[in-house]
Parts: sequence; structure tokens; C-alpha cells
Amino acid sequence: MSAADTATDVPAPARKKRFNRTEVLAALIFVLPFVVVYAVMFIYPTLQMIWLSFQKAPLIGAGTFIGFDNYEKLFKDRLFGVAFWNTVYFVVLTVVPSTMLALAIAVGINRLKGWTQSVILACFFIPYILPVSVVFRVWGWMFDSQFGILQPLIALFVGENVPVFRTLPLFMPAVAFITIWWTIGFNILLFIAGLRNISPEIYEAAALDGTSRWRQFTRITWPLIWPVTVLVLTIQLIAQFKIFDQIYLFGNGGRSDATMGLVQLIYRSAFQKNNGGYGATVAVVLFAVIVIFSVLQFQMLRARGEK
Amino acid sequence: MKSFLKMALLSTALLLPGLAQAQEVVTWWDFLGGGDGVRMKALIEKFNAENAGKIEIQATTLEWGTPFYTKVQTSAAIGEGPDVMTYHLSRLPLGVSSGALSEITPDEIAAAGLSSADYADSNWKAAQVDGKQYAIPFDIHSIVLYYNKDMLKAAGLLGDNGLPIGLDGVDNFKAALQKLKDGGAEYGVSIHSAAGDSQWRIFYSLLGQQDGKFLDENGKFLDGDNLDKAVKAVNVVADWVKDGLAPASTEYPASIALFTGGKAAMHINGVWEIPTMTDLAAKGELFDWGAIALPTFFDHPATWADSHAFAIPNRVGKEVSPEKRAAVMQVIAWMNKNSLAWADAGHIPAYAPVRNSEEFKTKQPNATYSVLADTAVFDPSSVLAGVASPVYDAAGNYLMPAVNGEIDAQSAMEQMRDDLQAQVE
Repeated sequence: MSAADTATDVPAPARKKRFNRTEVLAALIFVLPFVVVYAVMFIYPTLQMIWLSFQKAPLIGAGTFIGFDNYEKLFKDRLFGVAFWNTVYFVVLTVVPSTMLALAIAVGINRLKGWTQSVILACFFIPYILPVSVVFRVWGWMFDSQFGILQPLIALFVGENVPVFRTLPLFMPAVAFITIWWTIGFNILLFIAGLRNISPEIYEAAALDGTSRWRQFTRITWPLIWPVTVLVLTIQLIAQFKIFDQIYLFGNGGRSDATMGLVQLIYRSAFQKNNGGYGATVAVVLFAVIVIFSVLQFQMLRARGEK
Repeated sequence: MKSFLKMALLSTALLLPGLAQAQEVVTWWDFLGGGDGVRMKALIEKFNAENAGKIEIQATTLEWGTPFYTKVQTSAAIGEGPDVMTYHLSRLPLGVSSGALSEITPDEIAAAGLSSADYADSNWKAAQVDGKQYAIPFDIHSIVLYYNKDMLKAAGLLGDNGLPIGLDGVDNFKAALQKLKDGGAEYGVSIHSAAGDSQWRIFYSLLGQQDGKFLDENGKFLDGDNLDKAVKAVNVVADWVKDGLAPASTEYPASIALFTGGKAAMHINGVWEIPTMTDLAAKGELFDWGAIALPTFFDHPATWADSHAFAIPNRVGKEVSPEKRAAVMQVIAWMNKNSLAWADAGHIPAYAPVRNSEEFKTKQPNATYSVLADTAVFDPSSVLAGVASPVYDAAGNYLMPAVNGEIDAQSAMEQMRDDLQAQVE
């Protein structure tokens, strides 16, 4: 819009020069690798996936067109309902708590100086480096119902050992807790980068006016860090909607139907039951849900931040 | 730089005659991560040593169960699988129906020096679908009752021959568990109660002891009074857990540790953990132990059993050379003929000449429990059954929580029946 406005203001010869053929060519050459990779690795598979969702097809190989049958089956599928609500529940348990906690920790770390700051930040960031299999083993052993190191503590409160990953109401909260522990380092890092961007002069001015710490946070830090908060929330939302590894590992062999998430339903349909068409259908729905939620959230939060 | 290039060329040239009579490299996948995996690695090393320069096995061990079979199925579809792999015969119908397995022709079997006559008829036929051979059996394996001789002796449950007494019958067994607990054991028997697979093996044994059919000839799951028998079977184990005689929701490694650490007097698990006990005992870190076939809880002896076999995956788009297939068949035949070493891993060799040998017949503790082979009950032959099948998923969803008292046995079995019946399309 604004580009078009300026273009009409520019005298004709200048405009001509602006869209110099060699420049356009150069721009195209620079952009082309990305466009090609994006088209081949993302657009084409996505279109194929949508096409696959209208077919009765194995995981690999040709299928037959069946119209909206897969979608009809999907909305009648009890497991889809369970998987959908489990996923939403997990998102609720992780996204906002992990963002808020990360902000609090980041503000705290930001106060520290020198090497203590580096060491504390490293402590919070180290779990993020671990592969999920290690996270699973570590927490699996810590919570083990017979020999877990945390069980004496649990027994102190509950009176007996609790098989955390085999107690249905505890499963999702426990996995959510572990996920936050595992991934919070990255959010903290983003927040610290944001906090360092706030000019110290603003704080100095506020201190001169005798503003309390809490007021400094609500009136300066919080509004100025808001764009980063929106970013973290959106990244978290997308990541947690795609929850798979942790639920799969902690739930393996147990009541997998009751603890299933949407990606697990895709996995089971496509890879275990060799029903590629149905798996693609679930994937399309998940894709749509993520797009809708993240766009909505991003717009809503940004609007609030601009006020 | 120039001389470096020369050297490189020279070394390539030197390699060429070697390439002309290149050894076949056989890529091997297995899921043997238990105590038996160590024995298999030794067997593979022995094979590689004996066949140096001709055939080399390059083995990879993957995670047992669903992860293994999902990977096999996916890789078969794009031709990226191994040349040979271990496979559960319980899963063969499912594997063939999803196109993961390649047929092994009678000519190939004969060329490798194998014959159906060397196997028990039922075992050999379990490796077939529609009369075509898709696997070569390697062993028969089952679950057994491991026991701590000192603890059983103290509770008066050990006979003079070192074998347990007074364990047959549901009530007798439970009374024995109580005695052991009263005698100071934390649990009478430890079981892997946090997953469906291990519970399925106990459940299926108990169902078999009542002649219950999980899936009948008409394709009905737990039809008629089979449902009642199933409920009875579930309640046997659920009762132990309820009364604290067996541990609730316990993970696999913990269930073994409870026994080897002396907290549980007995342990029900697969024969594949025999090496774990043997090795611990050899290091002097285990009490005097033994293993027997599962006691008879109901009408007659019966124990769940499955069979490890060797199968060749389909290689869609990347068919292997006949020479490679011949090498694979050589590997399979060699493994069967050397399966006495596999008996050290607790298993019962499928290859009759080995099974009938004097060495095997005197091998302990295999000889004590190998009677179970005569009364073994195998998983129903169906595309819904077998390791990492819908039946195993259902065991996790309904059987496991029923054993741990989260759902009552009756409704668990009804839900399990309805869920599986709905999957018959």
C-alpha cells in the first residue's frame, strides 16, 4: 500500500530505474533458493497431504478417492474427541504457565551480575539441550513407583508410593510439568534478550522519580517486553499443540487411548495401522486448528499490546 | 599432494581384486534388548568369525514392540529395511497383510539345508499364510515362574528336590503368597504391572488353563462364557495386587529388581530374563534361584507362548540380489543349527535336532520348564493379534488398569471385547 503511494510520487525515469531488469533478476536469484526449497519441502507435501485426506490409502502407495468419508469418520471417532481434548488440555497446562514462569525467572536472572548470571542462566538452559529420550529416562527413574528418588517425598504427603504415569488424572499434569522443566530455558533466553533491549535510562528516570520496583515492572518492563511475550506465547502454542514424544514415551504400554494426543492419533493411524488417508485427515484438521489458534492468539495479543 | 594422489589410486587398485570376490554384508535388525540380547551378540560374533571373508552380519538392536514393528513396516514400504530380521510369529498374519514380509520359497529353504521336518508341525505352519512360508522359526519362548529358594524354603514351600510345592490352584497360590509376605517378603510375587504386554501373557495363560477362547472360529472376541473365563483370569492377578501381594503399576526394570533385590519371593516374566539371573548368580550377586513352568491355577496346565523367527522384509523398489538372499538363508540356517547357545538365553530352540539333543535335555533350568512347550497356547492367529497389534494396545487400555484395580474386571473385559470387535472390518 505505502509502496504503491511512493511509487506514484516518483518521476517516471526514476521509477524505470528502480525496477531495473538486472536488479529484479538479482532479487529473483537471491529469493529463488528459498522459494524452491519452500515449495518442494513444504507447499507440495502439504497439498499432497490434503489430497491424501480424501483417499483411502496405505501409508505409502496409491489410494482411491473417497470424497469426505475420512472426515465423516473423523467426527464420529471417539478417539479423535479424546485426542483433541487431551491436546487442548496439555496446551492449557503448558503454554501460559511456562511463559509466565520464564518471564519471572528472566527478570530474576537479569538482576544478577557477572558470572553468577551466566551460571544461573546455564543451569536453567541445560535441560533444553537434552534429547527427549534422556528426559524420559531421567524423570521415569525419578518417579518410578518402586525405586524412584521422589517417591519418599510423595509418600510423605500421600502416605504411599504413587505410580505417577499410570494414574490417569496425574498423567497430563506430570508430563506438562516435565515439558516445562525441559523447554523453559529457551523462553528464558528470549525474555532476557528482550529485557536487555530496554534502555537503562528509562529505569534511571523512574528511579529518580521514586517509583517502586513493582510499579517499574508493571509500567515499564511489562509493556516493553510485551512483543517478546506474544512471540513466546505463539511459539509455545504451536510447539505444544504438536505434543507427541513425551506422551508416547511415558504412556507406552499403558492406557494409550486415554492419554492420546492428536499427533499420536496421526502416528497410530498412518504408521501403525497403515491407514495413510485417515492419518492425513487428522493431520489436516490439526494443521487447521494450529493455524486458526495461533493467528487468533497473535492478533488478539498484539492488539492488546498496542493499546 | 601428487604422491598422496598416487597412493590413493594405488590403494584403490589394490582393493579391486578384493572387490571381485567381495563378502556379502547382511544387514540384521533385532529387538533383543533383554538378557538374551547379549547371547545373540555372541552368536553373531561367532558367525562372523566362522564366515570371515564370505558373509558378514551387521546387526542393529532396536526397541522391542511397537517401535520395532512400526519401523519395519515403514522401511519395507520404501525398500530401506534390513536384509533379515527377527519377527514374532504371533504377528505374522498382521505383517503379511500389511505387505512387510517377503515370501521364502521352498527352493530357498532347501538350498539352505533346512526342512519342515526339522520343526514341530504347528510351529512351522505358524510361519505360513495361505500355505506360503514367510518366516523360519528360531525358538519357542514363554513366561515362567522365577523363585527365591531361600524364601520359599523358609515359608515351607520348597520340596526336597528344590522345586516349589503347593502352588497349584488359585487359592493355594494366593495363600502361598500370603505366607511369603508374612515371612518378611515385601511382595509374594513381582509382576510387570505397568504395561499391557506382560499382563497379556499372564492373562492369556490363565485363560488357556480354562480352555477359554479369546478369539473363536467365528471371528468373535470373548464370546459367550469366554467372557466369564476372562473375568476370572483377570481377577486372579487383580486380587494379588489388591491385597498387596503383588506390586501395582510397576515398570519392567523395577519388577525384575524387586525379585533380584530380594524384596519379592517370586517373579513372573519371560524366559528371556534367564540370562539376567544366570549372570547375576555367576557374579555371586544373586541368591539360590530357580525357574519352573507357571503353576496350574485352573483346570489344566497351559502357558502363553510365542515364537521368535527370522523373516525377510519386502524391499519395494530395491530388490536384493539372489546372492544376497542366499547369504541371508545361510545366516538363518546357521543360527538354527547353532541354537543350543540360544537356549542359554532361556529360549527353547525351534530346530528339532538341537531340541532333541542330549546337551539341551540336560541344560538347566530349561529342562525343568521345557515341559510347557507341550501345553503352550499361542496368540490367536489374526491380523488384530500379536506383538504391537491392536490386541496388545487393548491389553494396555483395559487389562492393565483392571489388574491394578482402576477398572473392575467385568467392565474391562466387556470394553476390551467391544473395542476389538469394532476393529473387525
